[in-house]
Amino acid sequence: MRYMEISKLQRLLDLLRQQGELHSPVLGDDGVTRFELLPPGKLPDLAAIRTQLPPKKYLLHPQETILTYQADAGYRVPLATVPAMILFGLHPCDLAGISYLDRIFLGDEPDQLYLSRRAALTLIGVSCTPDEFCSCRLYPSPLEAWYDLFFQQSVDGIAVSIGSPRGAELMKILDDVMEERELLLPEDTRCFFGRKIPLPPESELDQGLPEWQVLAGHCIGCGACSVCCPTCSCFDVLEFGGLDGSSAERLRRWDNCLFRSHAEVAGGMSFQKDRAQRFRYRYRHKYRGFGQVKGVPGCTGCGRCRAFCPAGLDLRALAGKLEGDAS
Amino acid sequence: MKAGLPTSATITSVRKLTSDTTLFALRCDDPAAAGAPLPAVASFLPGQFLELSLPGIGEVPISYCGIPSSDGTIELCIRHVGHVTIPLQNAKPGDAVGLRGPFGLGFPLKSYENQDLLLIAGGLGMAPLRSLLLALLVERGQWGELTLLYGAREPGALLFLDELLYMSQSSDIRIYLAVDRRGSCLEGIPHCRAALLPALLDQVMLQPERTHAALCGPPIVYTPLVERLNQLGLADERIHLSLERRMKCGQGRCGHCAVGTYLCCTDGPVFNYAMLKGIEGALV
Repeated sequence: MRYMEISKLQRLLDLLRQQGELHSPVLGDDGVTRFELLPPGKLPDLAAIRTQLPPKKYLLHPQETILTYQADAGYRVPLATVPAMILFGLHPCDLAGISYLDRIFLGDEPDQLYLSRRAALTLIGVSCTPDEFCSCRLYPSPLEAWYDLFFQQSVDGIAVSIGSPRGAELMKILDDVMEERELLLPEDTRCFFGRKIPLPPESELDQGLPEWQVLAGHCIGCGACSVCCPTCSCFDVLEFGGLDGSSAERLRRWDNCLFRSHAEVAGGMSFQKDRAQRFRYRYRHKYRGFGQVKGVPGCTGCGRCRAFCPAGLDLRALAGKLEGDAS
Repeated sequence: MKAGLPTSATITSVRKLTSDTTLFALRCDDPAAAGAPLPAVASFLPGQFLELSLPGIGEVPISYCGIPSSDGTIELCIRHVGHVTIPLQNAKPGDAVGLRGPFGLGFPLKSYENQDLLLIAGGLGMAPLRSLLLALLVERGQWGELTLLYGAREPGALLFLDELLYMSQSSDIRIYLAVDRRGSCLEGIPHCRAALLPALLDQVMLQPERTHAALCGPPIVYTPLVERLNQLGLADERIHLSLERRMKCGQGRCGHCAVGTYLCCTDGPVFNYAMLKGIEGALV
């Protein structure tokens, strides 16, 4: 097994930097851990169990131009060359989140912006120890935690698994800092992903369950759970005309099914009028999916929605009740 | 890729149908050679929709209102109520728009063969049902009895009234009209009575085992219509409803048109009632 002593981490990061822009969880001065550019000399925050925003921000920017318009040329996709980027320090739940987004935005007719960024991305996973907000252990996911390389942390170093041809190529470059070791490592959280699990029966999403009303009563509709969710990818589409009167830009922006505007149609009529309805809708979508992800539970168990909900709400508690889980 | 990029089109005619609703004819600017296939957006099925862009303003989903034509003309019946459709009030022939589509699955014409068809339209719901109606009339021999029930707020709000009255003179179709408010000129309109749309079903004799119903109207009419159709013996699978949602991407991604685990843009917008039954927020 290829193994790296932890003392060589800085050297490894330098080698990675030669292959592309290196981003990883970084503990900011404000105490928040976020995925961002890892400057030389700085170490990634590998102890942090979760970043505030998931890595989806690299593939779907919070707001981005999807089309440009010029009177003489019509609408065009603003494709730019995307420089190679390495995301280092992804936990299996975040890797699974990316594989979920891949199902939505790649496929038969890939989204060009997503595809160009995804193709430029190398994913390096790192093992983790779930905390009280994580639910990967309780609710394993059918989503695959795909990676190019995966680093399993042990006491004094890192054991490496190769997950793709790109990962194998990258390992050749990293060979300087690697050695061969016979190791017997315990299973890590990767084992909770890519599992075949049955969907909860429809009856368990009963509208009449009192828990809905109780939970919805506490929800303040801020939408934080959706913003920090690694698989929430609804977007709004906006268009703005240029001041020259002959150009325009079409944007997409992260949207939120907890907002009343989400299910509105022309004239202001909404199909998700009250908060309990929107709350149920979110739960239903998260656990049953739709479109390309129909029947695919979209919760990776990362625990962000629990950890960051200002009202302390926990959809997982509801999942437990609905699925007859005593815990 | 293609489905994500609007193609430029030009408005070729503008016909005000009512004070707030206009019928537009448009043609794609791509010069299609004689005999060449139609541009994708001009080749569609009744019940499908397209996305119409006004550069600098935005994009909205609009149902096809006509049928594919050999010259690529697309008819759209638009009510001026939203941020894109209000500016369209001032559109005139020669103005440019963007189009992409078609999206969705449309009405299941294959399963309509040799069946009696009952079309029920409320208000602007006449727009997509006109597409279906015209398609049915083109191949009139394929279907059994054709009946259209159409209700609007008041006589002046009945869309395509001249066309419908003309059609009703033939034996191809029976048409019954209703208006919520009598207004001044009701007496001049044949086959029209002051009633709510579901009441028109009392006038219809249908054979439930060989009838399909195609519905399009404001959400509020769906529940009473479906109830009444069920009472008349029509199975849920034989009732097709076209749902309104704000499909923003048309590609099953933006999430705005979800109905339960279905998406209007890829699984609909036409659904049979058996699919929708029990889904919260599907009809109202």
